[in-house]
Amino acid sequence: MQAFQQNLTKLEAADTQVLGVSMDSRFSNQAWAQQIGVTFPLLSDWGGDVTKEYGLYNPQYKAARRATFVVDKDGKVTDIKLDKEAVDPTKTVEACQARKLNR
Amino acid sequence: MKHVLLAALLAASSLPAIYAADQPAAPTPTVKVGDMAPDFTLTDQNGNKVSLHEFKGKKNVALAFYVFAFTGG
Repeated sequence: MQAFQQNLTKLEAADTQVLGVSMDSRFSNQAWAQQIGVTFPLLSDWGGDVTKEYGLYNPQYKAARRATFVVDKDGKVTDIKLDKEAVDPTKTVEACQARKLNR
Repeated sequence: MKHVLLAALLAASSLPAIYAADQPAAPTPTVKVGDMAPDFTLTDQNGNKVSLHEFKGKKNVALAFYVFAFTGG
C-alpha cells in the first residue's frame, strides 16, 4: 500500500480513487495506516465476504490474493493485475492514465 | 556410479513437482475484465463506511486487495 500512497498524486490526477481492501480488522488497518502514512481508505473485509465474491480468498493463508482491479466510472472492471504486478502499481497507474485520456 | 548419479539427479529434479502438488492452487479471480464490479460497503480505518457505488459516474477506482496489514506492498 506504500507504493500506492507514493503514486497517489498520479492516480488522483487520472481521476482515480484508491481503495485498499483486506481481511484485517479496522483497528489493524488504523494502526498500519498511521505507521506508514496511508491517507486513502483501507477497508476491512472482516470475514472475507467481498474477498470471496471477487474470487480472491486463499484458504492456505486465510487472506486475499494480492490483486488490483481498475473499475471505471460506469462500475465496469477494465484492468486486473495480480501478485507482483499488483504490488507495483506502475501498470495500474498507466491503465488509469489511459482511461483518463480516452474520456 | 553413473547410474547412481543419474538416479539421484532424477529424484532431485522431481522434488519441486512433488512439493508444488502439495500446495493448494492460488485462487483465480472470478470477476473478469468487462464484468460489473460487485458492489460492497466496508468500513475504513477511521470507522467511515465506504461503498463502491459512491464513485459511480464520478471517479475510476483502483481496488487494491492486499494480503495482510503490516506487510510490504
